[in-house]
Amino acid sequence: MRARLVLFSIALGMSAGASAHHSFSVFNMQTEVSITGVVKEVQWTNPHIFVWVDVTGEDGKVVTWGLEGMSPNFLARRGWSRTTLEPGDEVTVSLRPLNSGEPGGMFISTTTPEGVVLTMGGGREGGGE
Amino acid sequence: MQHRISALLMGLGSALVATTAITQWAVYEQPTAADWAALAELPDFSGVWERGGGGRGRGAAAGAGRAAGAGAGRAAGGGRGGASPTPEYAALRDQLRGTQGPSQMANCLPPAMPGIMSQPYPMEFLMTPGKVTIILEAFTQVRHIFTDGRELPEFPDPTFFGTSIGRWEGDTLVVESVGFNDFVTIAGIPHSDELRITERISLLDPDTMLIETTFTDPLALTEPYTTSATFARHRDWTLAEYICQENNRNFVTPDGEEGIILDNPGGQPPPPN
Repeated sequence: MRARLVLFSIALGMSAGASAHHSFSVFNMQTEVSITGVVKEVQWTNPHIFVWVDVTGEDGKVVTWGLEGMSPNFLARRGWSRTTLEPGDEVTVSLRPLNSGEPGGMFISTTTPEGVVLTMGGGREGGGE
Repeated sequence: MQHRISALLMGLGSALVATTAITQWAVYEQPTAADWAALAELPDFSGVWERGGGGRGRGAAAGAGRAAGAGAGRAAGGGRGGASPTPEYAALRDQLRGTQGPSQMANCLPPAMPGIMSQPYPMEFLMTPGKVTIILEAFTQVRHIFTDGRELPEFPDPTFFGTSIGRWEGDTLVVESVGFNDFVTIAGIPHSDELRITERISLLDPDTMLIETTFTDPLALTEPYTTSATFARHRDWTLAEYICQENNRNFVTPDGEEGIILDNPGGQPPPPN
């Protein structure tokens, strides 16, 4: 809990997601979607972390959303760790949805049940080739 | 007979070495204590640096007045603030525009010069006798800058980062690089075999580095093109591992279509691209 409170202060100064190794073309960068659910799995890996969140619809059906985040290297220097989000955590996540319409997108930020905001970004797009 | 063949081969080898000695690698010799001690007289570039300042304020050098346009990634020179292609290379650029597709970085191919120097990941400078080494966390890459007095090769193989030598002009390390492949562009303009990249690396203060990068290409550019960027030292950072292929779910197809694989949670990475 203490770690998350520290994150809150760090997150305030950050802008939304940045990517080091690909363009944003698969995401709709003009749209922000919010989902609420339970963290199913976290892959704390390069070149990006991935988080899957189970969202239960009004009909009781569970849809799993796949979310791309920044890299562990980038996040670890900004207060995140591989246990910041863990399976079973209840989260609300803001994201840029996939253009394909499939349940997934680019992770922007999340609010934990304690009201702590965790932001993914703060970096800059890479310089390209 | 075998001796004679060996002798012949050795002779050939010696001849090759003799004719190419000027442009080939110098032979490594063990540094002396004096060589190591001499490093202490140089500006201390060693350690971990992040482009732009990483939260300490980007473009910290903007007011330093060291160079027109000093600051994170801002361009200087080139007339209108950008690189000025010759008519031939402007046409080439326009011809290639739209056909190159998205960056192959999504398939984990590292960016070439100068993009490798502007990634949102830190780099570490190592200073040893006769050499400055830059370890780039992004894509786990290395640049080798020889400061032992050797000359640039006359016919370098084209590479992502080129072949580099460095010399000290006062407290500034001047790095000259030649030999670039087609992944290298000058702000989007293709280059010729005559492209030379000159980087002037200096410290604005003990924790702020300035790198001014000048592109000279008499075939592709009407005049040299210079950009500059500042980097902030992070004395409490170390480089982390970055293996792009570890779990790369992004891809670009040969047709230039980008995609992402998000549908297989369960700890199993997707198949290699």
